[in-house]
Amino acid sequence: MSDETQDSKHAPNVTRRRFLTALVTVSGAAVAGTIAIPMVKSLDPTAAAAALATTTIDLSPIEPGMQMVALWQEKPVIVVNRTPEMLATLDEAEQKGILKDPNCNVPQQPPYCKNKYRSRVPEWYVGIKICNHLCCIPHYRPKKASVAPWWLGGFHCPCHGSMYDLSARVIKGSPAPHNMAVPEYDIDVAKKTVVVTKMYPLAHLC
Amino acid sequence: MKKYVMWAGMALGLFAGSASGAFADDGPQLLTPHYTYNAKTIISGARLFATNCMACHSIKFMRYEFLTHDLGMSRADVQKDIMLPTGSTFKDNMTSAMPTQMAHKWFGLPPPDLSQMVRYKGQDWIYTYLLSFYQDPKRPSGWNNHVFPNVAMPDVLAPYGGIVNEHGKLLRAGDESPQKFKEQVTDIVAFLRFVSDPSVVQRHDDGPWVLGLLAFFTIVAYFLKKEYWKEVK
Amino acid sequence: MSFKEWFVKRSPVPEMWREHMAEYYAPKNFNIFYYAGSLLLLMVVLQFLSGFLVLAHYIPTAQGAYDSVYGIMYDVHYGWLMQYMHVDGVSLIFVLLYVHMARGMLYGSYRSPRELVWIIGYTTYLAFMAEAFFGYVLPYSNLSYWAGTVITSLLKSIPFIGGWVTTLVRGGPGMSGDTLNRFMALHVTLVFLVIVGLIVFHILYLHKVGSNNPDGIEIKANKGPDGHPVDGIPFHPYYSVKDLFGFGIWLIIFGAIIFYAPTFHHIFLERTMSTPANPLKSLPDVTPPWYLSPFYAMLRSIPNKTAGILLMVFAVLVPFVLPWLDRNPVKSTRYRPVTRVLLIIFFINFFVLAYLGEQPPLPKYFFVERLGAFIYVAFFLLLPFVSKFEPTRTPPARVRFHAH
Repeated sequence: MSDETQDSKHAPNVTRRRFLTALVTVSGAAVAGTIAIPMVKSLDPTAAAAALATTTIDLSPIEPGMQMVALWQEKPVIVVNRTPEMLATLDEAEQKGILKDPNCNVPQQPPYCKNKYRSRVPEWYVGIKICNHLCCIPHYRPKKASVAPWWLGGFHCPCHGSMYDLSARVIKGSPAPHNMAVPEYDIDVAKKTVVVTKMYPLAHLC
Repeated sequence: MKKYVMWAGMALGLFAGSASGAFADDGPQLLTPHYTYNAKTIISGARLFATNCMACHSIKFMRYEFLTHDLGMSRADVQKDIMLPTGSTFKDNMTSAMPTQMAHKWFGLPPPDLSQMVRYKGQDWIYTYLLSFYQDPKRPSGWNNHVFPNVAMPDVLAPYGGIVNEHGKLLRAGDESPQKFKEQVTDIVAFLRFVSDPSVVQRHDDGPWVLGLLAFFTIVAYFLKKEYWKEVK
Repeated sequence: MSFKEWFVKRSPVPEMWREHMAEYYAPKNFNIFYYAGSLLLLMVVLQFLSGFLVLAHYIPTAQGAYDSVYGIMYDVHYGWLMQYMHVDGVSLIFVLLYVHMARGMLYGSYRSPRELVWIIGYTTYLAFMAEAFFGYVLPYSNLSYWAGTVITSLLKSIPFIGGWVTTLVRGGPGMSGDTLNRFMALHVTLVFLVIVGLIVFHILYLHKVGSNNPDGIEIKANKGPDGHPVDGIPFHPYYSVKDLFGFGIWLIIFGAIIFYAPTFHHIFLERTMSTPANPLKSLPDVTPPWYLSPFYAMLRSIPNKTAGILLMVFAVLVPFVLPWLDRNPVKSTRYRPVTRVLLIIFFINFFVLAYLGEQPPLPKYFFVERLGAFIYVAFFLLLPFVSKFEPTRTPPARVRFHAH
């Protein structure tokens, strides 16, 4: 039957049609979204990947003054058992004015690590051992005067010479702009475990 | 046209009947108890499973953390009652303590992973199996089973349910009453059923909303269709 | 110039839209069977999306396949939804295919000038069977392993080259990780693209000659003063809006199955898919999925291996020549009571064969299975004679339509 020419008895109710079409479009979009959103979410990291996302580090083998490096989410995490002498050098570095960001104003660490120790517990430094300049892995150089005559102890990067103190705060003269990143973690000193949980979102690794 | 719908319905009915055909012909008649399937029975089954079964049987697709967000167990309860003290972490898969080489040595073959066992064998088979152990001096383990003859598995639930001989005569009573023991076994089956498809929780939670939205869309689409088809004579 | 003018000058889409939607005149008397076509399109899209999203987690090795597939149910967010959508989608596609083909047989949609539409369509059905087979081997469950072994063994019966073909398909003497790899390649790319291509041609060939309808009369024979068939209505908006409603009803059914009965009592997802492949322990009965079951029943109804395979191949291929077996000038069985009865017997028999194919191979089923195979073959052999001589009613000049 011909469709364009209608007599007035069968004239289409345009308003009703528009209203129904709008309803169908909106609910149809909702249906499409109900199907599409889980589809996209299924590409999120799986529970298997999430299980690998945290690393538990045992502190018992780390002697005072020693470091240990563990792999977490394919990145090196360093744990240092800092002696009181090492902790004293942190104040000394601040007094000598050699640090670029002594007060950790740039948020390279979770809020609970925004202090001169850059850790939850002063003796135990937990950080990601990646140089903030161009992502090399710096060396742990705790011995005084080892890197330079004025060296108090800290980290020294072999690639382009960036230097950090024993809280991984960047020293002036280094090409690296910021302190090394500290991840989010939990520590249980009695049980001697550190569980590294996730990256601190505001920190820049390198 | 309506008769085609009727024939289709009949055919579907035939299929539903035939679906259980695969295993009905082998072994003794299976018991068909009533299963109560809710968070309480599943959690009770989880505890029983962890205590009695996980020494040998893994449920490797299951992770401990699923017991919290899917079943509502607290993390503390999971760590206390379910997790083996051998260094598992919360997000780990629920594997068993038994190393595979030892399994071969002790049992001849590794105890199977039970993640999908309810889907494979069915609830009734597992229930009947757990209730069909009897003492058999001729077997190396000292046990045999009416549903699975010459099985290598011993009757781990004997302390709860007691020991019978081949003809069903009670040799030693278990710690639980027969009624309570059967409940414990249905709880274990309920847990294994949950393990075989933990999505059941989310499916039943989200299902009404999804179907409701689809129903709304369908109704509106129907009115739109009628609006246009008014013109078709 | 406006964007519309700029676009229309450069794009073939506006005239394609006119030719295939806004000015494609379809008969107005389509009934419930006619939802199946657009629903199949919807399902192919959903199978593609859900399939892509389970492929994203699949590991095609003998050691990794089963764990990767079941891992999706547990570890992937909404993985269960993708998985069930894909698995249940297969069975629902075959339901729709059988409805779609039944419609064709009931109303003579395979008759001239639509023979090629039928042939392309039936080829698509076979392609779906292959796609489903390659797909259910991929999880490498015990059913996957043994069904894969049995079906690839069928290829050995090909004369002269059978052994070579079987080894080629398997990638070795038996089912292995290599088989999984190539089945994945076939399932995801080759067979899928073949299906898409066939569907495109199926619709193009249909649109060239125009759709049939339940009364089997050619609407183009009766045109109105505007040049359009008096019994035709433009596909858009009438059937687009009707199909949208059909999508809604269908998605409710699909959703109810996924959310409340995802294995559909172990018919859509067989129990033997829930245990990993064991080359040392074959299944007591290797039954095919329900949608392949009728042909399997016919295969084993004959106690001779070669004869059984030949019968099954014949049964699978004979519908191709249906357009030439049917010799009655009247198309639709609405006006051919004898053929209609034969067809209904054929359909019921098909269901019965499907049921029998799922049963264990016990002697009590032998007679009925053989009778079923006989009825199936007899339908096609009798049709040329029945159609030539049967009494028919005269089809009407205008389609039978009640406003709705």
